[in-house]
Amino acid sequence: MIKFQPGNLRVPQFQRPVYVVAGGTTDYRKRYPEYKLEELCMMAFKMLLEENDLKLDPLEVKGLINMACYGEFADHFQDQLLCEAKVHDYLGLDPLPNVGIKTGGATGGYATLVGANMVASGYANCVLVMGWERMDEVDTRTGNFYIATAACKDFETRLARMYAAYYAPMARRFAHVFKVKEEVRAAIAVKNRGYACSSPFAQQPGKHTVEEVLAGRIACDPLRMLECCAMSVGAACLLLCDEETAYKLSDNPMRLYICGGTHTLRVADRRNMAIPLLPHETPGMYDWMEKELGEPYPGFQSFLASRFAAYMAYRMAGIKNDPCDELDLVELHDAFTISDLQTYGDIGLRPYGREEEYITSGDAYYGGRCPSNLSGGLLGTMHAVGATGIFQGAECLWQLQGKYDKFHGDPKMWTRFGKTKPQDWQSLQIPKRRRALWISHAGVGSHVTCGILENPEVMKK
Amino acid sequence: MKKVKKKTVKARKPAPKKAKPRSQAPAEIRFTGTPMPVEQTEPAMVIQWPRTLVHHHTYGLLSPFFEGLKQGVLRATRCPTPGCEKGLWLPPRADCPDCHSRMEWVELANPVIGEVFTFTHVEYPGYGIELSYPYYQIDVKIPGCCTIMKGYLVRGEAKIGMKVRACFRTKKPTNTILDLYWEPAE
Repeated sequence: MIKFQPGNLRVPQFQRPVYVVAGGTTDYRKRYPEYKLEELCMMAFKMLLEENDLKLDPLEVKGLINMACYGEFADHFQDQLLCEAKVHDYLGLDPLPNVGIKTGGATGGYATLVGANMVASGYANCVLVMGWERMDEVDTRTGNFYIATAACKDFETRLARMYAAYYAPMARRFAHVFKVKEEVRAAIAVKNRGYACSSPFAQQPGKHTVEEVLAGRIACDPLRMLECCAMSVGAACLLLCDEETAYKLSDNPMRLYICGGTHTLRVADRRNMAIPLLPHETPGMYDWMEKELGEPYPGFQSFLASRFAAYMAYRMAGIKNDPCDELDLVELHDAFTISDLQTYGDIGLRPYGREEEYITSGDAYYGGRCPSNLSGGLLGTMHAVGATGIFQGAECLWQLQGKYDKFHGDPKMWTRFGKTKPQDWQSLQIPKRRRALWISHAGVGSHVTCGILENPEVMKK
Repeated sequence: MKKVKKKTVKARKPAPKKAKPRSQAPAEIRFTGTPMPVEQTEPAMVIQWPRTLVHHHTYGLLSPFFEGLKQGVLRATRCPTPGCEKGLWLPPRADCPDCHSRMEWVELANPVIGEVFTFTHVEYPGYGIELSYPYYQIDVKIPGCCTIMKGYLVRGEAKIGMKVRACFRTKKPTNTILDLYWEPAE
């Protein structure tokens, strides 16, 4: 759709408020033969029930659940259809209804969106949203081929069988159009992998340098290996409730807003269109892009799906000003450094064409105006695909609740996963705890959700 | 596949005239597969689980496009509705996403010259890659198209803005999109 009609732009509304009260996760590993998938899901589920300071006993909390939404990216990886049924039974939730949600890399985000609507509509008062991926049954190159079947099998898959090869052309075009140096992308890899050093859940923490990233092995030029996320195994979950149930369970539940957007599976099919403006943007501000650059929108440089999701989510959540001022944390989908960089413009952390300033200004860093991916992101911590958009939500929840240290700084959390808490461990707890945003993203921007958590207590002050 | 067919034929043979009495105990059931190799036993048992498959994939209404590649022609589609998208679609699609009309085929005159919009040098492809690598994967802007089609460069070095000519694997076609490739036209 390149021209909207009024009905297309109706801002989504929940029929009643939706809250997130608890989160759970496993750690993430490239291979995890120690546990079966459902055993990993139980691990995350128990963390959700037992370690979120809920006011009822774990089994009493479980007794409130009346719906489950499950996210798994690809049946190929485990060669197990209806894994939802296995997990649901294993968690002891039969015969409650459950539904499986599949939207590629945005599976976790869309599972959360569906769960939120279950609560908002009144179908459920308490919904378990859980996602997982087990990508270690096949070797990495086979895994890459499986993922590349999420490109168009007739016209794209055979041209690489590797997803980095669908992002690399966007990276090249982005740099060409906006004159962005490679160091900016490399800085994103350094930042996110660095923040992963504070996470006991992280798969690929590392203290790298920009020079090291750029000198590293190339996957698909210009993307280096260190700019790409890895195959990952793990599970994550959230508990969504209506207002009454939320406050019965928690003193600090976070209000949830979430909207989605989509765009073509093939970048090839993106047609030129007018830019949908975010609430703080002004008509005419992007005229230069077509007039001076002659560059189509969204072209290869931006994600219309992310722009559309943010367009709706900001309006749904009442965010009218510069998102860097209204948000205290963002967790973005850095499957590749370039997808992270492109998204800065889509969600208005900077205007289109000035995305790199979000990094170079320092805003994106801990202590900056609106830090991003303090969880370590997909590059540093995890991309067990179906779990990703849920794990990001859990990290946002814990940050707003002031529980970053509880979940990341407790030495027992590190030993639980066979690790030792680093001596130079750094707390990344954000000081202001008003709102956090996370982006869940699929394909080359085929499906995106923009979730916003709002802290009712802090917002009152 | 042959084995499966044989089994099916056997099953369809008419029952012998003198049917065996039902009460007779069946022959002992045999394991007819191949044992799965154990890869590791600690900390948990991990076995190999091989999978080989054939899918029967249709090109549907886009069949003329893939037939065209074998004949050395590039076929695009166009919406016939006045006022709708004027550009050609490549990759083609049979139905217009804007007005839902059935599209019509347009054969592009050879030589088809396009321009490299962006590209990547694929150094690490995934399992099953059918091209020798590294190679340049290119996104080609073709005059008259509203789309920017992906392909690969058969020789030379890719640059943004370079002119490329469409080529076709008419001898020994692969019957896939790899039958279309591009060569420098400068």
